[in-house]
Amino acid sequence: MEHIAVGMSGGVDSAVAASILVEKGYDVEGLFMKNWEEDSEYCNAEKDYKDALQVCDTLGIPLRSVNFAKEYWERVFQNFLDEYRSGRTPNPDILCNTEIKFKEFLHYAQDLGADKIATGHYVRSKEVAGKVQLLKGLDPGKDQSYFLYGLNQEQICSALFPIGDLEKPNVRDRAEKLGFDIFDKKDSTGICFIGERDFKEFLQQYIPAQPGIIVTSSGTKVGDHDGLMYYTLGQRKGLGIGGGYGDGEGAWYVLDKDLENNELIVGQGHDHAGLYQKRLTASDLHWISGKAPNSENLKAKIRYRAQDATCRITELNNTDISVEFEEPRFAIAPGQSVVFYEGDVCLGGAVIDKAFN
Amino acid sequence: MYYFDHSATTPVHSDVLDLMHSIQKDVYGNPSSVHSQGRKARLLIETARKQVAKAIGTIPNQIIFTSGGTEANNQVFWSLLNQNNIHVVSNTIEHPAVLKVLSEMETHGIDYDLVTVNKNGRISIADIESEIQENTGLISIMLANNEMGTIQPIKEIVALANENNILVHSDAVQCLGKMPLDVNDLGVDYLSLSAHKFYGPKGIGVLYFKNKDSLSSLMIGGGQEIGLRAGTENIASIAGMGLAAELVTNQLDHHINELASFEAHFKSELKTIFPNAIFNGDANNKLPGLVCVSFPGYRSDILMAKLDRANFAVSSGSACGSGNVKPSRVLSEMGVDDEINISTLRFSFGASNTSEQVDLLLSELKTILTD
Repeated sequence: MEHIAVGMSGGVDSAVAASILVEKGYDVEGLFMKNWEEDSEYCNAEKDYKDALQVCDTLGIPLRSVNFAKEYWERVFQNFLDEYRSGRTPNPDILCNTEIKFKEFLHYAQDLGADKIATGHYVRSKEVAGKVQLLKGLDPGKDQSYFLYGLNQEQICSALFPIGDLEKPNVRDRAEKLGFDIFDKKDSTGICFIGERDFKEFLQQYIPAQPGIIVTSSGTKVGDHDGLMYYTLGQRKGLGIGGGYGDGEGAWYVLDKDLENNELIVGQGHDHAGLYQKRLTASDLHWISGKAPNSENLKAKIRYRAQDATCRITELNNTDISVEFEEPRFAIAPGQSVVFYEGDVCLGGAVIDKAFN
Repeated sequence: MYYFDHSATTPVHSDVLDLMHSIQKDVYGNPSSVHSQGRKARLLIETARKQVAKAIGTIPNQIIFTSGGTEANNQVFWSLLNQNNIHVVSNTIEHPAVLKVLSEMETHGIDYDLVTVNKNGRISIADIESEIQENTGLISIMLANNEMGTIQPIKEIVALANENNILVHSDAVQCLGKMPLDVNDLGVDYLSLSAHKFYGPKGIGVLYFKNKDSLSSLMIGGGQEIGLRAGTENIASIAGMGLAAELVTNQLDHHINELASFEAHFKSELKTIFPNAIFNGDANNKLPGLVCVSFPGYRSDILMAKLDRANFAVSSGSACGSGNVKPSRVLSEMGVDDEINISTLRFSFGASNTSEQVDLLLSELKTILTD
């Protein structure tokens, strides 16, 4: 039977993924990955490890552990900081998948003699005409293909996604029936190494803040900002623009960042024209199949949980594209990825550089 | 399962298991009771005390039973709080059941200094001498190390301590059954033992003391163990430990020879399979059957996982809890560099092994190392 190393996070998804493989008769071992050195109330690796251990002990499989904190720091976290320094909104989870989980972790599992790895991602894979496809998870609320668009053929072939055709409540049910203590453990949200802590405080430890002013698109000052890196395009909360500015109606939204003058540009109302763009350019293009799709029916997400929207791609060169949407999209943020789909099939994506009309 | 991790713990001897089972079934009396059930229980405990005392060359009223080596160590150290001389000399390769206690006690006013070891893990008497202060009350040095088996020059340390009126404690949990152990010959004032290291049950141990007046109790209550360890006695475990101690000392020469021959065979064959193997420790002063080997170019966590998958149990000094492969502190103290350190495994042979098993281990290692 195939020897599978399952990435165990201490959460319910990977726990159930492991249990499914055990039920199917695979030779399963758990691998706990530690990617961040700090152990605090925000990032409790010790607790997560114990949770994973309880799951593996219940399943009767070994749990080994491995540390990629150095690789994560160099290849994911430095990029994360660089992106914020450039005023962009990066997505470290995407890079973590391509650089750590499906590279370092995969290699480590192979060194251990594993035939394949498995993860608790809500995605599916399917072989079609000699190629593997990455499909959305069946639970539309949990689909994680957005984070995995950077995988190549070899990486997908080396991986199993046992819970891709399950829905979350079903996963929790299974976990409870199997006697996993973590059946009702809260889903992790946001960026793993930041956890529940204050984002500003976290970022301040690494990047000096440069406060500046908040202006409307016509140049009127309406407030002060703590540093452009703390804001994301389309952000509404936490701008601290008091009364007395604007028309007194409609919330303020971040429209743009002027890095040169260190100004945050805002506008009023969710319908503000400055919040919507039809076009974007993106780089670091990656196609899962290895080549550009020949599709009439292309849709794209501009962030995790965004609606798939009909679009057309123009390849500018091997790595750069421009994308035009049929309908304008809300707050396209540079640093996030644009990820392409045809139906349920995740085709690939690229990192957004610029949005415009 | 092929078990080569006897330094971590040993399987319980079958005679010991039988004895413990019959006691759990039939002897439910409280040793403090005067009736016949109580007398039966008391007799078992006092028999065990004689067996253990004999195994380490002392008399029954110089030992008490504890929950294990950790508790025995703790009792010696915490007793210092009532003494005048509260400076301790120990060394950097002790078990956490010594080092962490000392560092915790620092917050209670105890002062200590640690001597280092040479590349073989041996302590020098001169180093200890240079750490002795006016108020040094205790020297605590393990008899043999758990990671590479180096035996320390305890008799010389005792001689030095006697000249300076200092008491000596030795954590000897690795030693019973692997070397002759005579507390009077060693001359120590305190010695800690743990039953599960010599084919007895877990959760029971021994504290030997030369003089009871220097000790205080960690457990306050019913006055058991001559007032030094309150709490109703764990009769079956105590009796099991007594028998285990007797069995290993009766078989001592045979067991030492067997361990030495496993070790010699394993080392010479391993050198053929993997000529770069580095054997750590002091070849002239070490416990038999404990082999600490570095495999340059390999990672211990991978080797261990592969051996585990093939059903061989070994261990590594590099701690690997929640994803942290940290170099072994003991090997680092010996000057082993980090790369070699994290390539190190410990094989500890024991009475449950046969030479066929050692050959199976060698052939599995050959497969893994030539893969």
